[in-house]
Amino acid sequence: MALRRELHALTGVYALDALDTAAEVTRFERHLNRCGNCTTEVRGFRETATRLGFAAAEQPPPGLRDAVMSAVARTRQVPAGEEHARHARPGQRRRTQTAPRLAMAGAAVGLIAIVVLAIALVNTRSQLSQTRRQLGAAQTQLAAINAVRTAADAHVLAKATSVGGVVTVVSSASRHQLVVTTAGLPRLGAGKVYQLWLIGTHGNKIRSEGLLAPHHGRGGPVLVSGVLPGDIFGITVEPPGGTIQPTVKPIVGIAA
Amino acid sequence: MRAYEPDPPRAEGGEYLDGLLARVARGDQAAFEAIYDDLAGPVYGLIHRVVRDPAQSEEVSQEVLLEVWRTAARFDAAKGSAATWVMTIAHRRAVDRVRAAAAAAAREQRNVEVPIAHDEVADTVEASLDAERVRRCLDGLTEAQRESITLAYYGGYSYRQVSGRLNVALSTIKTRIRDGLIRMRDCLGVS
Repeated sequence: MALRRELHALTGVYALDALDTAAEVTRFERHLNRCGNCTTEVRGFRETATRLGFAAAEQPPPGLRDAVMSAVARTRQVPAGEEHARHARPGQRRRTQTAPRLAMAGAAVGLIAIVVLAIALVNTRSQLSQTRRQLGAAQTQLAAINAVRTAADAHVLAKATSVGGVVTVVSSASRHQLVVTTAGLPRLGAGKVYQLWLIGTHGNKIRSEGLLAPHHGRGGPVLVSGVLPGDIFGITVEPPGGTIQPTVKPIVGIAA
Repeated sequence: MRAYEPDPPRAEGGEYLDGLLARVARGDQAAFEAIYDDLAGPVYGLIHRVVRDPAQSEEVSQEVLLEVWRTAARFDAAKGSAATWVMTIAHRRAVDRVRAAAAAAAREQRNVEVPIAHDEVADTVEASLDAERVRRCLDGLTEAQRESITLAYYGGYSYRQVSGRLNVALSTIKTRIRDGLIRMRDCLGVS
């Protein structure tokens, strides 16, 4: 009972997006599903917050309209039918639906990898068991990548790097994993490679996640595991073979 | 700073926007342009208020408006107005951006805490007639309620951060925000 009253008092904090963690949001939303009064209250608070938002209105920058309209012209919409399951959620909290499409792209990439490995399989009998292991590993990896991309809490963020090109990160807090892909990264000179990093919140821990060799700017999908809330994913340009610690400023940093 | 007056999210205006959003969900780009003309100002203004950096604010605004286009089918008029649906996405994205930036800065052990300027709030709030009403209602709150709501909504701080900044117990902040919002809601005549 005390617990319920406590949760109920969070309606205002929730409506202002001021809960601290995704776990807190999930817990409160579970409560909302069972509490009609809270749902009504949150709705009223959100409308109230909208008035506060309108009070901050400003003339948008002149380039915004064209940028948005041209993006709209080349962006596919989420069809209505896909949404039924999610309509049950209160507060209209929504997730981006890019994940399934990315998953399909990932499946295609994975299929190519499997075909390539399958060809290798028939080449030499002596390599058979090794190839089988690789194939298994590739499939496991692919399954893990798709699991992140289709996770209920998958969150997609795309960011331009300081040297050009875009890095896309799909992260799943519940799986503690993220999947990285890149597009349009510039080709590096002979003495340089792209290196991936996971930078932790606690104790400034920095971990190398290996090197990335983009093909025509496209790199990944790369699976990064052991991701904790607040971790930052970053890419630096390093000497061949990579380094133990980043030696230069990252070209991009994305909060997981 | 501005001579910009957006239409307030009135009840009848709300229905108009709801209808537009339903058309957007069916791929109607002209309807989306009308939504843009009505809501880009509030969306950008709110994000700018929270994020502060103009370039980043523009980036986040673009993400938000594109998300409105992409996910218009998810809007459900039974759960709230179209304006609120859009502004909720905008606020959430803005908050995500500042918290990520704060986390990154904390890692570099830089201090990016931005003190909230109350004058600035008053400044923006003077922007339109509707805002005048919002300001009057904000004035009707206790200082403590106003401070907590302003820090959370315009400052993008979590209630734990608000509690830390004001050196007040978490449960007190929770209550202040809720009581303040009840008073604001009633003052603004939100049903």
